Amino acid sequence: MAKSDLDNANPTVLSVSQLPSRNLAKGHVRKGPDSKYDHILFPKQWWAGSSLNTDPSVWTSDEDEDDDLTLATEEPIDEQEIYGENYDPSSCTYLLSTISDPEHPVTLGQIAVVRLDDIHLSPSPAERLDPNTLTNVEVDLTPTVNHCSLATVIGLAVRVRLENALPPNYRIVVRMKDGSHAQDDQVNKQLGDKERVAAALENDTLKGIIEKMLETCV
Amino acid sequence: MSSFKDWALQYVLADDETAQSEIAKKAAKEIENTRASSASVGSWAASIQPWITITKQDDDQSDDDDDDSGSGDIIARAKALGFLADTLEALDKSLLRPEQVIRLVGFFGAMFSYDHKAGITASAKALRQLHAMKGFKPAVGVKMIEDVCKLKEDFKLQTAATRFEIYELFLSLIQDQSVNNELQDKYGTSSGFIVEILQLCQNERDPRNLMLWFKLLPIFLTEYSTSDEVTEEIFKAFSAYFPITLRNSATPIGITADDLKNAVRACFASHYKVAKLAFPFLIGKLDQGDAVTVSVKLDILKTIKACIDQYDNTQTSIVPHINKIWNSLKYEVRNGEVKETIDATLDVLRAIANRLDGTSTQKFDVSLLKNYIDTVVDDCRDDLANPTYTKQAGLLLMTVITTNIRAYTLESTAFVDIIRKNLRLPKSPSHTKDLLLLLNSTLKSRADLFKNRKQGHPEDEEAFKTEPSDHLVALYHDVYLPIWTGKSEATTPEVLKQVVQGLASLATQQTLRPDGQISLLVSRSVCSEICSLLTHTLTKGLALSQNDNSTDSAVEDEAVLALQAVVAAYTDGYAELVERAKAEIEKRDWTSPTKYTLNALRDILSRLAFIGCSRIPLNVALDGESPKTFKPLQHFLKLATTLHDLFPLSPLPTSEKESLANSYIISALHGGILHFRDACFEKFEPKVLEAYSGSDRNWLEEFKGLSKDWSHQLQREDGSSEVIIKEDDPEVYREFLRICLFIVRHLYREAAYGKQAPWSERVFAQAANLAALVVRSLDENLQKSCNLAQNAFNFFSPENLSPSGPSSIAPFRKLLILGILQGLRPAAMAELYAPQGIAETFMCDTSRMATVLLAVGEIRGTICAVLANKYKGGQSTFDPESETMKRVLSFWGEQIKTATTTDDTDPAIFEVYNTVAMHTLAGACARQDKNVLALVPILHEAIASPGPNGAIVARTIGGLVKTNELLSPENHAVVKRFYKQWAYTHFAKPLYDLALPTGDEDTAFAAGRYTTAILSLVSNCPFEVYQEDLGHLVRLLITALNNSSASGDITQPQVATSLEVLVEILANEPEALKGHLKAIITAGMKTYEEAAKNTSKGNVARALASVRKLTLQLLGAIPKKFDERHLLAYALPMQRTLAKASGDKSREARKVALLARENWAKVV
Repeated sequence: MAKSDLDNANPTVLSVSQLPSRNLAKGHVRKGPDSKYDHILFPKQWWAGSSLNTDPSVWTSDEDEDDDLTLATEEPIDEQEIYGENYDPSSCTYLLSTISDPEHPVTLGQIAVVRLDDIHLSPSPAERLDPNTLTNVEVDLTPTVNHCSLATVIGLAVRVRLENALPPNYRIVVRMKDGSHAQDDQVNKQLGDKERVAAALENDTLKGIIEKMLETCV
Repeated sequence: MSSFKDWALQYVLADDETAQSEIAKKAAKEIENTRASSASVGSWAASIQPWITITKQDDDQSDDDDDDSGSGDIIARAKALGFLADTLEALDKSLLRPEQVIRLVGFFGAMFSYDHKAGITASAKALRQLHAMKGFKPAVGVKMIEDVCKLKEDFKLQTAATRFEIYELFLSLIQDQSVNNELQDKYGTSSGFIVEILQLCQNERDPRNLMLWFKLLPIFLTEYSTSDEVTEEIFKAFSAYFPITLRNSATPIGITADDLKNAVRACFASHYKVAKLAFPFLIGKLDQGDAVTVSVKLDILKTIKACIDQYDNTQTSIVPHINKIWNSLKYEVRNGEVKETIDATLDVLRAIANRLDGTSTQKFDVSLLKNYIDTVVDDCRDDLANPTYTKQAGLLLMTVITTNIRAYTLESTAFVDIIRKNLRLPKSPSHTKDLLLLLNSTLKSRADLFKNRKQGHPEDEEAFKTEPSDHLVALYHDVYLPIWTGKSEATTPEVLKQVVQGLASLATQQTLRPDGQISLLVSRSVCSEICSLLTHTLTKGLALSQNDNSTDSAVEDEAVLALQAVVAAYTDGYAELVERAKAEIEKRDWTSPTKYTLNALRDILSRLAFIGCSRIPLNVALDGESPKTFKPLQHFLKLATTLHDLFPLSPLPTSEKESLANSYIISALHGGILHFRDACFEKFEPKVLEAYSGSDRNWLEEFKGLSKDWSHQLQREDGSSEVIIKEDDPEVYREFLRICLFIVRHLYREAAYGKQAPWSERVFAQAANLAALVVRSLDENLQKSCNLAQNAFNFFSPENLSPSGPSSIAPFRKLLILGILQGLRPAAMAELYAPQGIAETFMCDTSRMATVLLAVGEIRGTICAVLANKYKGGQSTFDPESETMKRVLSFWGEQIKTATTTDDTDPAIFEVYNTVAMHTLAGACARQDKNVLALVPILHEAIASPGPNGAIVARTIGGLVKTNELLSPENHAVVKRFYKQWAYTHFAKPLYDLALPTGDEDTAFAAGRYTTAILSLVSNCPFEVYQEDLGHLVRLLITALNNSSASGDITQPQVATSLEVLVEILANEPEALKGHLKAIITAGMKTYEEAAKNTSKGNVARALASVRKLTLQLLGAIPKKFDERHLLAYALPMQRTLAKASGDKSREARKVALLARENWAKVV
């Protein structure tokens, strides 16, 4: 896209480390100069060669949790997960925050088009005991400028991403945040209309753009 | 004589160069044979007559007609002349007489006047050969140059190769001192020949020729005294090329743009007489503003620097231009944005300061340097108050002032003063940060100057003795302390980090006393205050609650690094620090601490270990105090004794969690050893340390004479009784190991015979790991002479060895045995293997086993694995008949046999037996002990036996080949390279046929067990080991999956194992699965659905989650490995299953499901 076509040539870009993440909220991980030998001094396996799981109740802290324990924990899908997990690429998935912006080489999370606070689940994860409960996901998007012509495309990409990633019992609503866009009514109508969404995805050019945006989602 | 004519003809007709040079050699030989008689030389020269005569007519003709009709003859003529040139090249250089040389020079020289088309290349080459002749006279050289210059305008028309020959000729003549003298004589300073050459060669553009040309030009400047006009002409000749670039060419010529740049630069810097031209020229280029690209700018700056570095006669060549250079360059830094140009500019400024200072042998008058620095200071002073330019101005000032020691001593006081004034009224936090950064960099540069003080003029070192230092000492109270204590919201962590770095830099500054003794610059009290300030940052975490402690961890980490540097120089600081921390720790109650306090304890202890032990302290006196006895190990000893005093923090822990505090103390000690070992490895070569890791003495014997608090004594002592070791003596390492062994001995005795309450499994394990590290570091002889193998079992207390043998040791205490044994080399353990000796007794000991926990059995087993692994029997060992291991293995064979054929052994007890047996076998397996093979039939029978004990064997047999850290070369274990293949071949391979289901009830049961055993082994082997049995294996895996999902019991361990192996096969050899895709996909989906349905909790839930994750991993990887046509049929149901799976209970599983879904979405 030519530079002159940009709706907002200078969006505020957050660095990856500034994005909300589950891991930042957890206790600090030792990384000072003295932590060089932590793997030897505070090993998960107390003594070399021990194969049995030693009493796991000792490890109450999050950072010490071993992999099996995280695996077995039952955690329903929550807002953070839909937004995107921590930014360690080896161990996480990103649903929305890492979708690329169609005009800048940054992600939707970095320019705060997608915000953690604007993702709503009902019933909330805590109330949802059975994973098969019918759940509504509402995502409000905030375009960087209120006349953004690509708002529909971004909304469409978010919708496609969620449909491809969430289980069938999730109902998805993608909207522009109130007042964030000059024509939010029209955009919302377009995004909410199944027929129009399906028709849009038949369009090869549009499909190409959306696929490109979703390439950065892992 | 006609032969010359023939050769000439042959030469002219020949096409390839080797043939031509052969002919030339023949001619040369002929001339040599006749001793260069006039007749032979004459007929040789005349041999090319036929071609030369035609020349004249040809030339006239072509001149008239201006066409190239005679070009064929030109080539022949050139070749004919080439014949002469080549002959000269091959000819003995001492043969020709002077008059012959003169005549030949006349002949070839004439070519430059007459034959511009054909004669030049060969003539130039011939002249160069003649110049090398013994009969060459300098006057002839002058004539050569004059002759060549007659080419005039036609020079340009010659090919690049011809011009190359001419440059070579010039170069060889000009470099010849005798020709040089002759030229000076003839031309004087007007140097007419130079002007002629310059005119001749102007406009050269060929890179290869230019390299020669740029070599030639500096010689004119350095070797010839030229008039100003000529100098200017020469300068114009090379400066016209500046800045030089090179177009990319399709044919590489072996010359880069950088070569050319360097060559031109060398011309500029060749002689100071061009200084008055060069500097204005270069500055003029630089001042063109934005038109100059970065690379050109760099070229200019580097050239200026080269000139400054290389011009002689500083006073006349450099001094007059300094102001101009400075005025132009300061903007490069002040307003510059590109790091490279800023660095290059600073290099120039530094070069000026260095030239003005003088050389290492002669110093210039101080006013030169002072004037220069004053100019810089005057221009930059005001900028320091302006936050926009602080950094740049400071950089300029600091660079100039810290260039050399004289500049530093002259101006540092004023500079520091300006910064200090500005720091009092900073404009913003980042202004403060920039100013602090400057101050810190100045301190750092001073330290570097001090370190290199001996490299320059002797006056430099003297300067440090009288150096003004009050302004630095005052920095603590005037600058750093107020910022630190006046912390406010506005004080960013960046500023605090700078303060911490500055404090460290300040406390470690060294200076020379008048008597030549090195001491610290700041006084003891300031050092001590700095230490306590930084210490407070670290101990705060313990004293405050989580919410009150707002210190940024980056600042804490910086403080750790700062303290590490400070206590290495101010050695008393470490004791202060440790005592403060100790007091802080002792203040608290550690019986049931919170997680936050425990983490704070872990951090402070780990930091103490790092600060004191990661560097070998330096031997520096304190200002105003006489030097003390110095001990390189003092910090390590202080840490060890303090930790010893602190242990146990929690005297009566009731759970592992409560004993964590105790375990952290041992960890800190372990950390201290690791860090100090690193410090030694950093300071000394590994080879040197190897030589110092042993001793021929028995240290343990020596320890007996020492009291229990020997390490305390050592630490307190002023060093009077021990041999004083310098910090750069590798003996430090040996002494360190000795103290370490003492600590291990002490720790073991405490753990084994002292109060038992503080010792939990974890604390024992920590102590054992520490012991393993120390033992591993000792060499074989020392391990033997200290008899460590025996001591492993009596815990360094032979007198206390309990009569009932080692088995009466408290359960987890056995970890201590493991600690020592795992670090020992096999040769140091030989004694243990005597028949009925300690090893055999231990490995075959089953007493009380019925009452122990599985975890304890696991420890026992691991010790047995190490013992079985490091065994060596045979001649000249303690087990000459090689029977010990055989007996041990057959003992366990019998045990297993009995337990699986009779119903006497309870499965819970057998589980413990089996653990020990499998570990023992695994140790022997790694060594490929043949005695293991005797157990193959026993184990196979046991697996198929109907009782529950058989199932235990089947499930755990994989332990034989399980990767174990203890069985690694680092732990001196004996591990054969292909032992897993070996074990697999003997234990798993024979079972494949038996494991296939036949439909018969009886065999079906055994087949199931065999399948379990195979899976257990396979899952512990790398893919390559079972690669050739994939056909059988895949069928077994699918059957196992189907059976368990059909029976609904998918929590069986073999489900997870089968999935793991399938994932492995899919990654390595997907072809093997191609025929089974349908079965795998169906079984996979079924397994996932079964696992998702199951709502069990606890351990079962964990097993289920891992089954779900593995299934999704397997299913998700399939589309990447196979063509769509194989998968289309399954795509829809698979996508439905995966869509459901992306709502899995476990987040981990959902992640895998999402990836799987993406992969399958591509199958259309």
